[in-house]
Amino acid sequence: MKFWLVLFALLMGCSSVTEKKTLSENIHIDVEELKLDNGLTALIVRNPKLPIFSLQLFYKVGGKNEVPGITGASHFLEHMMFKGAKKYGKSTMDFIIEGSGGSTNAYTTNDQTVYYENLPSTQLEKILDIESDRMENLLLDVDDFNKEREVVLEERKMRYENSPRGQLYLEMMQTLYKGTPYGRSVIGDIPDLKSVTREQIFKYFKRFYAPNNATLVLVGDVDISEAKSIIKEKFGKISSSPSVEEAHKELKEEDFVPKWTIHQTLAKKGESPNPIFMMAFPTYKAGHSKGYSLDVLSSIIGSGKSASLINQYILVEKPIATSMYSAHQSLEKSGFFFVGGELVRGVKLPEFREDLLKRLGGFCDSEITERNIQKVKNNYLTGLYGGLDTNAGLGSFLGERQLIFNDWRFYKKELDMYEKVTVNDVKAVCKEAFLKPSVFVSVWNMHK
Amino acid sequence: MKKIITISLLSLLSTAAMGASFLDSVNRTKWGDLDVVWIEDNKFPRFNAAIYFQDGSLSDPFSGLTQGTFDQISSGTSKESEREISEFFDFYGADLKHTVTHEYSVFSVQGLTKDIGPVMGKVCELFSDAQYPQKELISYVSRSKSRLKNLVTSHSALADRIFRQISLTETPYAVPVEGTLATFDKLNQVGLKERLAELNNAKKVLYLTGPSDIKKLEDVITKKCNWSAKSSYKNLVLKKPSSQSAIYLVPVPGANQAQIRIGRYVIPDEIKGKYDHFSFLAGFLGGGFTSKLVQELRVKRGLTYSAGAYVSMQRDYGRAGIMTFSKNESAAEAISIIRDIFQDVTAKKFTPEEFKHQQGHQIGGFSFTFEETHAFLSQIMLYDHQQRDLKELVNYPDLIASLTPEALSQANLEAFPWERLTIVVVGDKSLEKSLSRIRPVRILNYQDYL
Repeated sequence: MKFWLVLFALLMGCSSVTEKKTLSENIHIDVEELKLDNGLTALIVRNPKLPIFSLQLFYKVGGKNEVPGITGASHFLEHMMFKGAKKYGKSTMDFIIEGSGGSTNAYTTNDQTVYYENLPSTQLEKILDIESDRMENLLLDVDDFNKEREVVLEERKMRYENSPRGQLYLEMMQTLYKGTPYGRSVIGDIPDLKSVTREQIFKYFKRFYAPNNATLVLVGDVDISEAKSIIKEKFGKISSSPSVEEAHKELKEEDFVPKWTIHQTLAKKGESPNPIFMMAFPTYKAGHSKGYSLDVLSSIIGSGKSASLINQYILVEKPIATSMYSAHQSLEKSGFFFVGGELVRGVKLPEFREDLLKRLGGFCDSEITERNIQKVKNNYLTGLYGGLDTNAGLGSFLGERQLIFNDWRFYKKELDMYEKVTVNDVKAVCKEAFLKPSVFVSVWNMHK
Repeated sequence: MKKIITISLLSLLSTAAMGASFLDSVNRTKWGDLDVVWIEDNKFPRFNAAIYFQDGSLSDPFSGLTQGTFDQISSGTSKESEREISEFFDFYGADLKHTVTHEYSVFSVQGLTKDIGPVMGKVCELFSDAQYPQKELISYVSRSKSRLKNLVTSHSALADRIFRQISLTETPYAVPVEGTLATFDKLNQVGLKERLAELNNAKKVLYLTGPSDIKKLEDVITKKCNWSAKSSYKNLVLKKPSSQSAIYLVPVPGANQAQIRIGRYVIPDEIKGKYDHFSFLAGFLGGGFTSKLVQELRVKRGLTYSAGAYVSMQRDYGRAGIMTFSKNESAAEAISIIRDIFQDVTAKKFTPEEFKHQQGHQIGGFSFTFEETHAFLSQIMLYDHQQRDLKELVNYPDLIASLTPEALSQANLEAFPWERLTIVVVGDKSLEKSLSRIRPVRILNYQDYL
C-alpha cells in the first residue's frame, strides 16, 4: 500500500469550494496495523518517494511515573538506552546507524519516552534488530552509568540552571502541579541524580520497557509484508511486563489535579536582566473537547503578529514587553493554559500581573470573533502540512495519538473538533479558564 | 569483500541516479527582470517562495540597517497600519521570514497555493510602499535594545556573537548583522526607505516550490512587484587570518558552565575545488554522535553534553569552527583535548575504520537532502550564491567515496592550524588560571560586544 495523503477541499472562509467535505474526510492516511500477542502495537505507512524511512518507538513512561528518590529516572534511562545491549554492545548502535547514513535520538517528557531513527531503507532489518535487543537486553554497564550521570548533570545545567527560560518553566510546573506527579522535573532533582543507583534504574527499565508498553511506528520506503514479518520475528519473542498495567492504573486522574485553590505568585532569582514571566491556569487533559477551544484561544491571543497580546503589550508606543506568547498544553492526565513573555525594565510585576489578568478577561469578549477563529483554522492547516512533510513528522503524528488515545485515528476526531469550534465555544472556555486561580512565576536578577 | 564492493558500487550508482533525477526537476526561467528557480511539488496545496537578494549587511553604513529594513518592512504602508498588515497575513496562514547575512539576504513566504495571488500581491506592496512609521520604529528600537541586553542570559548565543566579532576582527564580516546597542538609534525612516530602494534594485532570484499552478505567480510578480535587478555585487578579497596568541575569556554572571568556541575565518582560495574535503572534515570532527569530538569529549570523558564542528562558506569568506561547552572545572581540559584531536587528525592518527565510517555516514545520508523540497531549494540557493555547479551537489556521494585519508588530514591542517585559531570562552572569571596554561588569557567585557 502506498502512503496517500489527500486534501480535496479546505474549510476556508475565502475558499471557492463547491463540494463541502469535512477536513477529516479529506485527510486519509493509509496505515497498516499490527498487534502482537505480547502487546506491541506497530503502525506502518509506506512512502516510496525516497529510499529512506523513519522508525519511532514510543514507550509509555515519563516523568509522571517516577517517585521521589528516583526523579529523572526516565530521562537517565533514555541516555542509557544508547549505551549497549546484549547483542549490540557498548557504542555499537550509534556506529551502525550513523555509519549507514542515518541519525538517531530520543526525548523524554512527562508522559512518554520516544526513540527515533531516520535511515536508508536498506537498514530496516538491522534497526529493528537493534531496537528489539535494547528493549529486551539493555546492558546498563556500571562504568557507563556513572559517566553518563555526569553528562545528565551537565545537561540539567544547560536546560535549567543556565537557562532563565528553562528555570521559569520548571518553577511554573513545580508550582502548578505541586504535590502531583507532574510537579517533578523531567530531568530530575540534583540529589536524586547524584544518588540513584544502577539497580534502581534497572528495576525501572524492567517494569516499563516492554512490548505491552510500546508503540512502534514505521514510515517510508518499506515493504509492508516484509516489515511485518521482521517485526514479528524480532519483537514477538519478548515477554510483556506483568506490572506495567498496574503502574498506569496507580496513577489516577485525581492525583493530577492541582492542589491549590488561591492565586500563587513566585518570584525567583535568576540571571535574566529583564523580568521574564509565566502565568498558568489549570485546564483539561488531552482529548477533552474543551481543549480544542482552548487551543484556538491560545492562538488568537498569542500566535502571530496580529495576536492580542502582541498588539497590547509590544506593538505600542511604549512597549511593556519585548516578547509575549501563549499556549495550551494538553498532557495525558491534565492540561494547562499559559501566557508568558519578557518584560522591559521598569515594569512593576504586581501591577503587570493585575493588568494581564484584567486584559485576559477582556479578551473573552473583544478578541473572540468569527474572523479570528477562521484565522486560527487557516494557520492550523498550514501547520499541519508542515508537520506531515517528512516521514518522521508523519510518524510522530500517528505515534502520539496511538500512545495517548490508544488510537492513531484520533486525529480525525481532533480535526472534526477543530472544524466545529465556534465563537461561543471559545468565549465559554476563555471565561472559565481566566476566572480560575492562576500561578504567576517570574525570574529576574533583581529578585531576592 | 567482493559483495561489499558490488553493493557499495550499486548503492553509489543508484544514489547518483536519484540525485540526477532531482537535478532534472529544477527549472530555471525568467519573469521580467527576475530569475526564477522552481521545483514542482504536488504533495500539499502550499507554496514556498524565497526571494534571494544579492545584497546584504556588507552594504550597511552602520550595523543593523539591512536587518532593520527587513524587520520593519511590514510596520506600515501608506494605506495600511502594522496591525492591518499582520492581520492580513495571519488570516491567510502565511508565514513570512527573512534572513540577512553579510553577502546576501533572503525574504521567504510560505502559504496555501489557493491564496498565492493575494499573499504575494501584499508582499509586493510591502516592497514598493513600506513607510517605516516613526511610532513603530521607536518601539522596534526599544525592543531590539532590550533583547540584546538580555543576551547575557543565553551564554551560548552570547558566545556565538562575541566569537564572531573576535575571530573576524580583521574583516568587515566582524560587524554584527543584527545591529548593536550603539547603532540602533541611527535607524530612521529616510535611511530605511533608501535601503529598501537599493534592495529593490539589487539582483534577485526567486526560489519557488509548490504545485504546478503556482506559476500564476508570474503575473503578480511582474505587474505588482516592479522589481529591477542590477547585479551590484562587489567581490571582497581577504587575507588569511593572522596568528593568534591568546585565549579570550568573557566572564558572565552565574556561569557554571563554560561555552567554548574555537575557529577561524576561511578565504575562498583555501577551499576552492575542495568543498567536499572540508564538508567531510566537519562531519568527521563534529557531525553526529559518532564524530570525533563527541566520542572524545562526551562518550569517553563525560565532559560535555554536545559538541559540533562546521566548515561553511559564503562567496568571499567562510568559517571553520568548533563549538562545545563544559563544566568550569573541565573547560581547559576540553580545549586541550580538542587541540590534541586536531593534531592527531593532521598526523593521520585515525583508523581506516573511523574514516570509512564517516564516508558511509555521509554517502548513506545523501538521500535526506531531497526529503523536503524547500530545504533542497535552499541548498540550491547557496550553491548559486557561491557560484558552484549544482553537479557538485548531486555528485557529492562520488566525491566522498573517492576521498582519501590523506585528503582528510590535509583538510584538517588547512582548516584548523592551531596557531591561527581564535579561542573564546564565555564562563566564570575563575577560569583564567586554568586557561592560562594553554595560552595567555585576555579578559573581555561582554558589554563591549552588544
